[in-house]
Amino acid sequence: MNALKRHRYRNAVAILAGILFTSFVVLQVNSPKIENPPVTSEFHGPEEVTRILKRSCYDCHSNETNLRWYDKVAPFSYKVAADVEEARKRFNFSEWDSIPKADQEGKLWYIVNMIDAGRMPLPEYAATHPNAKVTPAELTILKNYVTSISQKHYELGDTARIVEQKQVAQVPTSINGIQYFDDYKNWKVISSTGRPDNGTSRIIYGNDIAVKALEENKILPWPDGAVIVKVVWTSQAPDADGNVKPGNFNNIQIMVRDAKKFASTEGWGFARFSGLDLKPYGKTVSFATSCINCHQLAKGTGFVFDIPTKPAR
Amino acid sequence: MKSLIALIFATIALDACHDSRKLAPNPETIFDDHGLHVITSFHNDRTRTIAVLYGNDDALANAGKERDAHTPRVGTPGEVFKLVTWDLKQNPLWFGSNINGNVQSVETVTVSAGESGPAIDYAKDDSSQKKDENAVLSNAERISFIFAQRASVFP
Ligand code: HEC
Ligand code: HEC
Repeated sequence: MNALKRHRYRNAVAILAGILFTSFVVLQVNSPKIENPPVTSEFHGPEEVTRILKRSCYDCHSNETNLRWYDKVAPFSYKVAADVEEARKRFNFSEWDSIPKADQEGKLWYIVNMIDAGRMPLPEYAATHPNAKVTPAELTILKNYVTSISQKHYELGDTARIVEQKQVAQVPTSINGIQYFDDYKNWKVISSTGRPDNGTSRIIYGNDIAVKALEENKILPWPDGAVIVKVVWTSQAPDADGNVKPGNFNNIQIMVRDAKKFASTEGWGFARFSGLDLKPYGKTVSFATSCINCHQLAKGTGFVFDIPTKPAR
Repeated sequence: MKSLIALIFATIALDACHDSRKLAPNPETIFDDHGLHVITSFHNDRTRTIAVLYGNDDALANAGKERDAHTPRVGTPGEVFKLVTWDLKQNPLWFGSNINGNVQSVETVTVSAGESGPAIDYAKDDSSQKKDENAVLSNAERISFIFAQRASVFP
């Protein structure tokens, strides 16, 4: 009786091991292969900068992926391959010039801020590849680098004659249905910002619902109906006293809270209107995906960056 | 199978949460404009301040007019200006952007009709409590500074 039980048990273990092994073999044999397409337009930066990026980011964000043996073992191989594919789609240091020239600098600030927030390299990857972690000293090198290239571009500022308002005939409407409106001019200013990173000055307005949510600390999530508007000007060069004043109007950006309607972008509807003719930004509704991807960095404040804050206790 | 693998990894994945990013709203820094309009704004990296200039209808209308940069503007009776100045701090959520911190001061300039031309009143509500030695002289400077600001271009 006892012997029979033991025998059954042994059989079960053997069968289970067999199943596991077979699944592993199937998974392993079918593991996605990661190709390295040719490098077409490599990112060029100072050597100390590229050295950091190569070590920490190139496994995913380049065509020079160099995986360790354990990255190729199922089931990890699946996750790694998916990450590399997604990472290359987002941006690729080997195809750097596929990013429009005007956006390359912004991407570099994005890169620095993703590291600053501890989001890149991906934490689960960094855990198994400790060497890929960016040290605080290296992050400082990267911060200094992006600051220096922006200063070069914006130190002249926009001192050209400021172009005055012209009337827009129709109400501009974003492809996702969000319309431009003037009423924000009667709303409260919730914050104002100056960005040395891209040489702009901003004022951020909130409607009554948004201001109330801030006052009551009910922003996780923000209530439906909250609207936040950001007006952006290109900065002038600092005057003799160091005051940086707004130059030409640049664009206006709107976030509308509707948890149901905009569920695919964390409940926020995004719109951007550029220039005094308020040209709507985005060719397809999916433009908002790139907005929310970056706004994920402000997840702790309900995906909004520019609110007055104090450290939480 | 894909979703199973995703699930395994979702549970393994570490939560990348930096404590410095744990923030609470600080609505005390929001200025109650009592219906005044934004005229313009500016920031200063040397003094680490950021400011918004508000005004009533008259102040906004006059600040928006074309003007000769060489003739200093004097006030027009009826104008009310409020210049709110905040500390400038690094945005904790984005390296590269500076955002306002706490309110430092609110300066109010009121222009009324005097017997011989406009009468200008200046008041400063200063939370930093710094006493200014040359108050009278600097008040005059502040008034002309406020008058000199041109309205930002809005769509
Ligand atoms: C293990 C693969 C992997 C590594 C290594 C990696 N990334 Fe990523 N990266 C991703 C994936 C996957 C995404 C998209 C999903 C996400 O944002 O989490 C991404 C997204 C990004 C984005 C957002 C881009 C956009 O346009 O949406 C930035 C910026 C970024 N990574 C920067 C970096 C930097 C800088 C490094 C090196 C310090 C790095 N990444 C290392 C996989 C990786
Ligand atoms: C690369 C990162 C990034 C992308 C992409 C991005 N934003 Fe932002 N956004 C920011 C940052 C950083 C701030 C705060 C700093 C600032 O600009 O004043 C901000 C601020 C805003 C604000 C003011 C409210 C807030 O969150 O602070 C609005 C509205 C806004 N963005 C709309 C948009 C829209 C619409 C898009 C897409 C067309 C977009 N953003 C894409 C980074 C990004």
